[in-house]
Amino acid sequence: MLDPVAGSLERYMDLLAARQKLVASNIANAETPGYRTVDVDFEREFRSLVAGAQPRAVEVAGLAVNHDGNNVSLDREARMLAENGLRFQVAEALLKSKLQEMRQAITGGGSA
Amino acid sequence: MSLFSSLSVSASGMAAERARAALLVENLANAETTRTPEGGPYRRKDAVFASEPVASPFGSAFANAIGAEGTGVRVAEVLEDSSAPEKRYLPGHPDAGPDGYVAFPHINPAEDMVDLMSASRNYGANVAAIAAIKDMISHSIDLLR
Repeated sequence: MLDPVAGSLERYMDLLAARQKLVASNIANAETPGYRTVDVDFEREFRSLVAGAQPRAVEVAGLAVNHDGNNVSLDREARMLAENGLRFQVAEALLKSKLQEMRQAITGGGSA
Repeated sequence: MSLFSSLSVSASGMAAERARAALLVENLANAETTRTPEGGPYRRKDAVFASEPVASPFGSAFANAIGAEGTGVRVAEVLEDSSAPEKRYLPGHPDAGPDGYVAFPHINPAEDMVDLMSASRNYGANVAAIAAIKDMISHSIDLLR
């Protein structure tokens, strides 16, 4: 790997991708009877993922439950969708600058 | 890359909502249908959704590489309304019984319209999810540039 920061960024993006997948699942199951909203405990998973563990999906507490046992809130999912996308973009920009540093080192700062 | 299987999750949501919308439109179109191949008036249909693990294009071994697995959705069954049909007194109707009553489907167009709106809204939400995931994938690809 390039350096510890780039390694962390890579894991951060992995975790965001895993979270985005759960958001997509929640949206797809917005009308499935009995389906419960799932998410990852982001802070904790990030800490343990850096140590080499796998993210785990957990049920989200405190959401209003429908008459059919479903508790997906499209507003919450829309927010998560946007937030994950933006966080991913930030991580991507940071990682890109790291890669550029490396490229510059390889080419001796001259034109690539 | 788990982002690609996220696309399958949203696609399954779109397919399920589309199937449901098709049933709702069928209900609206047949709100006054008194004859069906099975005999009797048309019966209202509705889709029941069930969640289902999404099969990754790269096989299960790779799908499990990142623990948080996505859950897609599918139409588990199509339920037909089994309640008694609505009887209307129309002695001149060709399908009227000996007592002069015609059996009409038990359909409330307002109910189907509301369900149709919700199906279309959920379809849109799945499309938005696909757009967001697609953005993330293309940004990752940009890292190579």
